[in-house]
Amino acid sequence: MATDNAAADGFGEVSRVRGIVFEYLSFGASVFGLVALGVLLVYVAVDAFDLANASPEWLLTYFLTLVVPFLGFCLYSADDPDVTRRAVVALGGGLVAVAALFTAVEALVAPIPRLNWQLAYLFVVAAPVTAYLAYVGSRGRVGGVGFGLLGRLIGGVAIGLAVGTLFLVLDPLVWFLAYTLGILPAVGLYALGRGRSSSRAQTAAAPIGLLGLVAAVFLRDVVPVFPSDLIIYLWTIAVPVAAAGAVLVAGRSGRTAAAVVGGVPLAVATAGGFLAAGAGLPAPTVLLVLVLTGVPTGVYVSRVVDVGEGLVGLGLPLLLAAGVVAGALIVEAWGVPAPDPWLDPSYLTEAPSRTPTEAGLYPAIVGSVIIIAMVAVLSFALGVGTSVFLEEYTPESGPLGTLTRILQVNVANLAAVPSVVYGLLGLGLFANLLGLGIGTAVTAALTLSLLILPITIISAQEAIRSVPDDLRRGSDAMGATRWQTTKNVVLPEAMPGILTGTILALGRAIGETAPLIMIGAATTVFRAPDSLFSRFSAMPMQIYTWAGFPQADFRYGVVAAGVITLLIILVGMNGTAILLRNRAERGS
Amino acid sequence: MSNTTSDDSLITTEVQADSNDDRAPLADAGTAVAARNLDVYYGDEQAIDDVTMEIPEKRVTALIGPSGCGKSTFLRCINRMNDMIEICRVEGDIEFAGKNVYDDDVDPVALRRKIGMVFQKPNPFPKSIRDNVAYGLKIQGFDGDVDERVEQSLKGAALWDEVKDQLDSSGLELSGGQQQRLCIARAIAPDPEVILMDEPTSALDPVAASKIEDLIDDLAEEYTVIIVTHNMQQAARISDRTAVFLTGGELVEYDDTTKIFEDPEEQRVEDYITGKFG
Repeated sequence: MATDNAAADGFGEVSRVRGIVFEYLSFGASVFGLVALGVLLVYVAVDAFDLANASPEWLLTYFLTLVVPFLGFCLYSADDPDVTRRAVVALGGGLVAVAALFTAVEALVAPIPRLNWQLAYLFVVAAPVTAYLAYVGSRGRVGGVGFGLLGRLIGGVAIGLAVGTLFLVLDPLVWFLAYTLGILPAVGLYALGRGRSSSRAQTAAAPIGLLGLVAAVFLRDVVPVFPSDLIIYLWTIAVPVAAAGAVLVAGRSGRTAAAVVGGVPLAVATAGGFLAAGAGLPAPTVLLVLVLTGVPTGVYVSRVVDVGEGLVGLGLPLLLAAGVVAGALIVEAWGVPAPDPWLDPSYLTEAPSRTPTEAGLYPAIVGSVIIIAMVAVLSFALGVGTSVFLEEYTPESGPLGTLTRILQVNVANLAAVPSVVYGLLGLGLFANLLGLGIGTAVTAALTLSLLILPITIISAQEAIRSVPDDLRRGSDAMGATRWQTTKNVVLPEAMPGILTGTILALGRAIGETAPLIMIGAATTVFRAPDSLFSRFSAMPMQIYTWAGFPQADFRYGVVAAGVITLLIILVGMNGTAILLRNRAERGS
Repeated sequence: MSNTTSDDSLITTEVQADSNDDRAPLADAGTAVAARNLDVYYGDEQAIDDVTMEIPEKRVTALIGPSGCGKSTFLRCINRMNDMIEICRVEGDIEFAGKNVYDDDVDPVALRRKIGMVFQKPNPFPKSIRDNVAYGLKIQGFDGDVDERVEQSLKGAALWDEVKDQLDSSGLELSGGQQQRLCIARAIAPDPEVILMDEPTSALDPVAASKIEDLIDDLAEEYTVIIVTHNMQQAARISDRTAVFLTGGELVEYDDTTKIFEDPEEQRVEDYITGKFG
């Protein structure tokens, strides 16, 4: 009888209340967090670019010359009526909705400071829809080509600037000798060995390279005459990059294309370098930026032309450049008042100042880039080395096994030590005991590397541990030594995981201020560091200092511009690292 | 060699593949690997108990027995893969190429370069098909024409026709059976003398398994093959000699496959083969 009753009630009900409550609470919390962060970023952007003073005409002009063509390109390359319909509905409906909501809030609740409804529309609807369209468009062949090209242009500029920045502190003369005597012969010998499949030439490459490097250090003070900086960079970086591009293309599209891809950017960059020297610009940096943008772009264009699909996409950079020029011309001719952004070229190239309008972030940017580069190299090398040792080389039992376990526990604990303590350690160990100097770039880099080392080690260990044992046994059974197994099988398979951990840790290192204060880094410096041992300031420290200035222009304008710069550099770095990781993942 | 009629067979399988018939009689084959009084312990537990056997060269020798009987352990002793297990201890001799592999002056890594191994689960490296096959050549510093050797090995593993157009795609994109044949190609590329196979078909479907079985038959023309299997029909089909291990790591009977499957000496072996236990 009981079964009859149950069936009549539809088997009764099982309560899911807790799960549903949890689901919606979590969802609400994430949305709230994202919205709060979004609002903050909108206000920072409004301050940094002085958008509050942008007239509606100015906004409209750039919307028509820049945003609308870009959206058109994305819609064209998406080639999907559904996407078009959704985009148009969102843009049109969003316009009406934002205007109505904004007016209602202003009229009934309170005026919204430093924001007008056109701007709100731009941030709330136009920007997300553009991002969505850009994403959808990039999946089509045409859009993929366009964004690929854009990515290479921007990436080339970023890498060129970063390399140029690093050479502010490295001695170009030693680099010149090291390249000429060590790296070039070693690479040449190696290539020769591969070409003739002679293993002796390949083995000889490493010692000869090392010999050349050592010789370079000794000859630095002996050689009386050096070529100019521009020639050095041309010879040591621009020519090899152009040659590498030409070699890449030669294998696919023949000699003429290779000569064009290698030769044209090299010629343009060389001309640009000499012209820049005449115009008083930093010639080596101009050369590096031009060659590092031109050669990858050339290689990419040649590949696209070979494939013959999505050629229209090559027009995207032209479209955007034309949009900017047209917008500027219209604004000029029409006499529309343009906003005066805090974040402008002079902000990125000038030293800090007491006057808000003249203040710049240049020395701090250079300091941060140098430190990040050193921290990335140091913590990656040390972290991967340590984790390989702990995971692959130490036994699990016996006295050595106990020692390993003690080491493991300590590494895990070190990750929880506050950063000020690391600052103190850096001050005592690197600055005083090793005499690297108080507040120097090298002390800061070593201290920050130490700070993130435990995180790097632990994540690299996890990544190495997750490599299936089957693969190790397979390699061992082939007669591979442990080193060969680690190098050829374990590390390539673990690399995506290792990179993820390193990226997260680096993000933390860039934003740190406490250990920098402890090791005596300057809050403000007026000249960019010119060696690893000169005093430096980092972006977070400079921004923190400005935030304490009494003038409102510093607190609202200059700080906002600094925050945006820091964010862009951080996102750019993480983006590059994530791209690298995805490549490694795809390779496996 | 199979002159007994199948009426006497304990299990209804055709014993001995025909392709072996053109080879010299089994009794004439030299010895490739010999175990003498081999004992293996994992901690205090004995996994192999005083095993003595001689494995003929260029033949297929099958090791069968219930789970935990020590047949895989025995296999791993031959190329000293047991060295990787910290608690494992080996006593006695294994002779390979006239040398006890457990002598102090034997480098286990150098030894493994002479002995290929194929595992239960296909384990190609996450690299291209070409790099997978060339792996052994690369780590051994092979100086000759790598591409030619890769082609040879893939042909030897009956995989060349299926993959010749996609040598640069990842080995993981192949099907399970193809992956296992890729692993076999990888094992034979450096031209070893012996190939050890640890249940190479147990993770595969019957069609893929039968391809591997055909392949093993061909491999025996050039290599000594020692195969651990749970599948008694498989042992009967492909092997020339069969060793039966029973619980406790004891080698109960070792003889020609025909003899083991048609007229075993020991009652226990007969019980195991007919499925009364195990």
